[in-house]
Amino acid sequence: MSLNVIQPRPRLTRRELASIVLSMSAACLVGAAVLGLVYLGTDRYRRASAAAAERAAIGEMLGLDAGARLLEVRQYLVPGRRQIAYRVAPYGAASGPAREVRFAFDGAVSGERDLPVATPPGREWRSLGRMFVAARAGRPAGFVVQGETRGYKATIRLFVAMRPDFAIADMRVIEAQEDPGLGAEVAQPWFREQYVGRTAEEIARLDVTRDPMPEDWKAALVALARRAPDGPARHGALLRRERTRPIYAVTGATISSRAVTEGVRRTVDHFRRRWWLLAPHLEGLL
Amino acid sequence: MSTVLHPGPRPGAWQLIRNGIFAENPVFRLALSLCPAVAVTTTVLNGLLLGVAVLCVQVLSSVTVTLAKGLIHPRVRIPVYTVVIAVWVSCIDMALAAFTPALYAQVGLYVKLIVAFAIIISRLEVFASRQPLVPSFFDGLGMGLGFLIALLTIGAFRELLGNGSFAGVPLAPGRPLLFFALPAGGFFSIALLMALFNRVEQGGRGGAAGPSRPTGGHGV
Amino acid sequence: MSRLPLALLAAALLVAGPARAATPAPGGDAGPIRVRSARVVAPDELRLRFSAPLPWTDAENFRLTQAQAPDIPIPVLRVRPAAGNRVVLTLGQRLLPAEHYRLELVDPPLAHEVQPAAWALLLTVMLAAALINNFVFTRYLGLCIFFGVSKKRDTAVGMGITFTLVMIVTGMLSWALDTFVLRPLRLGFFQIIVFIGVVAFVVQFLDTMLRKTHPVLHRRWGIYLMLITTNCIILAVPLLNAQAGSGPLDSAALAVGSGVGFALALFLMSCARERLEFARVPRPFQGLPIAFALAGLFALAFMGFAGLDFFR
Repeated sequence: MSLNVIQPRPRLTRRELASIVLSMSAACLVGAAVLGLVYLGTDRYRRASAAAAERAAIGEMLGLDAGARLLEVRQYLVPGRRQIAYRVAPYGAASGPAREVRFAFDGAVSGERDLPVATPPGREWRSLGRMFVAARAGRPAGFVVQGETRGYKATIRLFVAMRPDFAIADMRVIEAQEDPGLGAEVAQPWFREQYVGRTAEEIARLDVTRDPMPEDWKAALVALARRAPDGPARHGALLRRERTRPIYAVTGATISSRAVTEGVRRTVDHFRRRWWLLAPHLEGLL
Repeated sequence: MSTVLHPGPRPGAWQLIRNGIFAENPVFRLALSLCPAVAVTTTVLNGLLLGVAVLCVQVLSSVTVTLAKGLIHPRVRIPVYTVVIAVWVSCIDMALAAFTPALYAQVGLYVKLIVAFAIIISRLEVFASRQPLVPSFFDGLGMGLGFLIALLTIGAFRELLGNGSFAGVPLAPGRPLLFFALPAGGFFSIALLMALFNRVEQGGRGGAAGPSRPTGGHGV
Repeated sequence: MSRLPLALLAAALLVAGPARAATPAPGGDAGPIRVRSARVVAPDELRLRFSAPLPWTDAENFRLTQAQAPDIPIPVLRVRPAAGNRVVLTLGQRLLPAEHYRLELVDPPLAHEVQPAAWALLLTVMLAAALINNFVFTRYLGLCIFFGVSKKRDTAVGMGITFTLVMIVTGMLSWALDTFVLRPLRLGFFQIIVFIGVVAFVVQFLDTMLRKTHPVLHRRWGIYLMLITTNCIILAVPLLNAQAGSGPLDSAALAVGSGVGFALALFLMSCARERLEFARVPRPFQGLPIAFALAGLFALAFMGFAGLDFFR
């Protein structure tokens, strides 16, 4: 490239040096101003569209209509006092009034209060994740919980949707940097559909097998993932045959498949325990 | 290096665009900015997104530098070009993150890396800083289009063979050759497509005037 | 590459690693009981070694939790004392050796973090960056320089060494700027400009310094410095570190690993390309296309490193 041509450079005069410094500073300042403006313009839009997409995904996973109430529960660790704090607020208004419930590590209640105005969490509080509770007529109609697990390349983040009896309603892998065609297959509908409908006890004992998936079962899974109303009836025989079998791993991606299974198991187990502690304190919010 | 830069009648708009797509195609001929050519071309849509991003950055930077030609001291022109490109890349990056979040999640890192592309800064140095506004604009457009078309071609090739689909629409049953969707397959697809490009070029010249090879990136 | 040395190294780390993670024991049994080491010996068994025999070995004495879920205790099914002040806990859940757990005892009141040794984790990051997620063959970054410089072995080695050194310096500077300036002021969108500015500045600085102090070295290595500015990897590593919010050690490990991986890729490629000079390549493939095909073969070979992990 011709950028490195070495030629004798004339010495700079003071004026030239000043003009160089000035023009470089001007360029940087103008650039910074442009960037700042674009950031202000796009950031708000980005956050709004991300929130809308999340609400739509949750509604889809739980089969909710627009009229269902959705609560957002944020979980924090308060390291100094060895407490877990939950902040419960309607979805979309998480920075407004909220109810705060605190537990010690052994499950004893440490405090409960209603925060009438927006209160930011304490500075040393560490966020442990978010959970969403759908409510209808004062009773929970479904849950969506964030989960995390370590895949073979990086962290895999997933959402697990549960029915009120903690059976799996849906599962989505939202972030996984695995290889396309191999590890990334765990995000495909046919792999996810294997978890749907399993009860919490089945999930706790779930295993992963490297046997290849039967072709008819795979076709049925693809069809079931489309959520047609007559789906379970049409594939009833296959469902009965396969429902008790372990998860079929993606060919060539056993590690990712095992990671996702463990992630689902852990998410369901942890959420059940936490919900059992938290539910009695949500009077009036559901 | 360039076939368009000799003194003479000013090149017209179409000539500049055609130059960017064929004679000096950034990926297949100049072999610059290859990183995204392999990385994001697993599907056509990813390639489209990055190609459009590069097109915008190239055109905007060319136009900015041409307009500010008189204000840039020759001694600091490279840092100033870098700042200009970095600002435009950051803007495009933020815009894409806001308006196409789903696609952006897959190619986000490579959009940020546009700032390190040699093609853009070399185009600014070689063309935009010396020519008036309109030819500069069309040159940037031509280079950007050449890059976009190259990415779309590679993306189509890899997605069709590796995934059996085109832009997400399934065409072939199953996955004919999953290998092409993997990193190793990306290298092979570019090798094949580059060779095809060479063959077409050599066939067009009738094999005369010796083989015209890609200049092989920049190096020693 | 033969698997045996790698396996020996892995075994050495497995043994040495968790042992070093233990709190340093006071001399002799005079002081309070401490945990000397904690190791996952089977998927559902945790072996602890104390500095003195533990008086109370009932399951109620132990509380094991995952670090990210301190409110959910992992059920302890059985406690079995073993020789040498050791105790083996059988748990009701599978433990992953790479995860971070926290062990608490009631009597004597103790707390201990069960996790792989810090330097073993860093080594994993380095090896992952160099082999499993090699920046050239798996992430396809730095390709322009890669194909340009890998024609001869000594230019490849020169570029590899220069690049690794510059990568470490730029990586740490970028991390410092991001952690202490950009993040607290919420100026995340300046990352691209700041990082490329750091690269340009460091390269220019090294170039000028080299020219003034060692003109001979500058004549030999100066060209590589200039080429580094347009290398994608030099920008990708700070961006990845900023995205993951890594600490200083993790960032340094990624920088070293990526440099070593790039140097390795260059070296292997140059060896192969030197041999290619004597091969009969068809006309359309001459030059860059055959080099790409060669890189594809190397990428295939590097896929064999997938799943390489000391802790599984």
